Amino acid sequence: MELILATLRLATPLIFASLGGVLCERAGIATICLEGIMLVAAFAAGSTAVISGSSEMALFIGVCSGCFLMGLHELLTQKADADPVVSGMAINILALGLTPLLSKFFFDSATNTPSLPPTTRLHPVPLPLLGDLPTVGILFKQSFLIYIALLLPFVVHVLLKRSVLGRRIHSAGDGPEALSAAGVSVHRVRALALWIGGWLTSLAGVYLVLDHTGQFLRDMTAGRGFIALAAVIFGRWQPIPVFLACLFFGFSEALQMVLQNVSVGSKTIPLQWLQSIPYLVALAILIFSRKGNKEPRVFRRRPV
Amino acid sequence: MKQAGSLFLMFLIAVGTAFLILLLIGEQPSTLIQAFRYTFFTRFGLGYSFYYTTPLIFTGLAVAVCFHAGLFNIGAEGQLLWGSIAVVCLSHFFPDLPRGFALFSGILAAGLAGSLWAFIPAYFKSYRGIHEVVTTLLLNLIATAWVNYLILYTFKNPESQAAETELITIGYRLPQTLFATTPANSSFFLAVLLTVFLQWVLFKTTFGFEIRALGENARAAELSGITRSKRLLQAFLLSGFLSGLVGVNEVMGGEYKVIEGFSPGYGFTGIAVALLARNQPLVILFTSFLLGSLQNFSRELEFFGDVISKEVAWVLQALLIFAVGTRKWWEKKWN
Repeated sequence: MELILATLRLATPLIFASLGGVLCERAGIATICLEGIMLVAAFAAGSTAVISGSSEMALFIGVCSGCFLMGLHELLTQKADADPVVSGMAINILALGLTPLLSKFFFDSATNTPSLPPTTRLHPVPLPLLGDLPTVGILFKQSFLIYIALLLPFVVHVLLKRSVLGRRIHSAGDGPEALSAAGVSVHRVRALALWIGGWLTSLAGVYLVLDHTGQFLRDMTAGRGFIALAAVIFGRWQPIPVFLACLFFGFSEALQMVLQNVSVGSKTIPLQWLQSIPYLVALAILIFSRKGNKEPRVFRRRPV
Repeated sequence: MKQAGSLFLMFLIAVGTAFLILLLIGEQPSTLIQAFRYTFFTRFGLGYSFYYTTPLIFTGLAVAVCFHAGLFNIGAEGQLLWGSIAVVCLSHFFPDLPRGFALFSGILAAGLAGSLWAFIPAYFKSYRGIHEVVTTLLLNLIATAWVNYLILYTFKNPESQAAETELITIGYRLPQTLFATTPANSSFFLAVLLTVFLQWVLFKTTFGFEIRALGENARAAELSGITRSKRLLQAFLLSGFLSGLVGVNEVMGGEYKVIEGFSPGYGFTGIAVALLARNQPLVILFTSFLLGSLQNFSRELEFFGDVISKEVAWVLQALLIFAVGTRKWWEKKWN
């Protein structure tokens, strides 16, 4: 039960970030900036919570900052002809620099912000009936972001497969020329997809701060954005498989944490080995996943 | 000439933004002037600037070689960690090699370790078509964890409380040059030599021509008889070798040991270095000095200032990458 709970809690940020990634990449823009956006959103939410003492405000500012960065990514790649990988990398670097800089400015410490006041952390919301169940009840006494994360893949699935906007996002990634020939602005579709994507991705960062750690720590995303990216690729850019991939990665991270307390005789497994497990799993899956033709077709045209 | 102009312009933009950020954050202008003076007008400061420049030449070249082949090597950070630990490993097992041979094999070990780590994304890119960006990003994280393990357990210095390895033996230490009392060392000359060598390789040899052709238009290059997978693999391995050489500057020249988290992101800064230089090796010599002294400058700023931290260098780097990444667009606008 502990393990399932930990899996759920660790998979949640991955689910948000990778679904954001699915939307952006489906629209035909590579987003390696998920990591940076999470980090900035986490910092924005954390510092707002400390300063204003309100979790709603923190949620709002965190999401806004993520959307703003994703908007920047959109402007640079679409209006200013930057390569998406270059622009994404620059956003990651910006996040690495900006968060400690501002943290030191506001709180006089480049490594972390003060702990959040307990009132600003997200409270567990027990679901009626389900929350009262004996052993599994604890799974239904979580903060609302976790429930959203569990529902979101289906919402995104419907959005992408059943709505007009979804079809437009698909074609922005598969054949932008056809889309603009049909009289729809590719820029506008991509901008919309990236904003929604940025919104979801920043929820991942907000969740990390408001629920998971209760404090902004330097580099607290710790490569989760890249693991989310691996999940997007492994899930072939489709919401539901991506969701399952995230659960799997969340599980490998949870397992790693459980193993930290396991000792064989007097020996424990070195922490550094365990820390690398989630990345190794992501790498292995990426390498051995079957080549398919599900990726947005725009990606195939790139000379890379 | 035009390139020099736009480089200078971008440098001005970066410095201007730096001033703006600093004033916004409430730092005294005198702090800036002091930090500037210490970075560029003291022997000590210049020594450190060169010490930060050397690894950036290596990683800048590494990224540039890959860019020429149409590859994106974001993994220099992981490769340089292996390059550094390889030197310590060599000195640990062969402490008494004759000096000349020790220096040569140390350099070779650093490079080969980088190549070896680059082989993983390289193989899967060339022969399986797995995109190298995500694999190299993940490999960076794995390398950090594993190399930290080696630093903390296998090669730990028992006499030190800090997270660092034992010192390498005298035979492996490069001679100091020019700037005494700073860690600047003769690996800078190795970097300059390699830059000239790579300029020649990229623009005057068949190998260079073929990887550039692949980078320009992979399909046309393949149809004209260039073996894509083999060349990409070679370019990536060369790139890994170059990143690994950062270990020569850090371990054989500067600190004589590997300290946990020593790299202030040389691998990522290498991307900015290569982009600013438009992947031309000789220009990389200048752009790496620019970013290396920026690194040093921000370190001095943190030292003299009250609220500023050295991460301001990252912000400026990101702005520089934005500026150079959108070059085509604004050059078109202005002409």
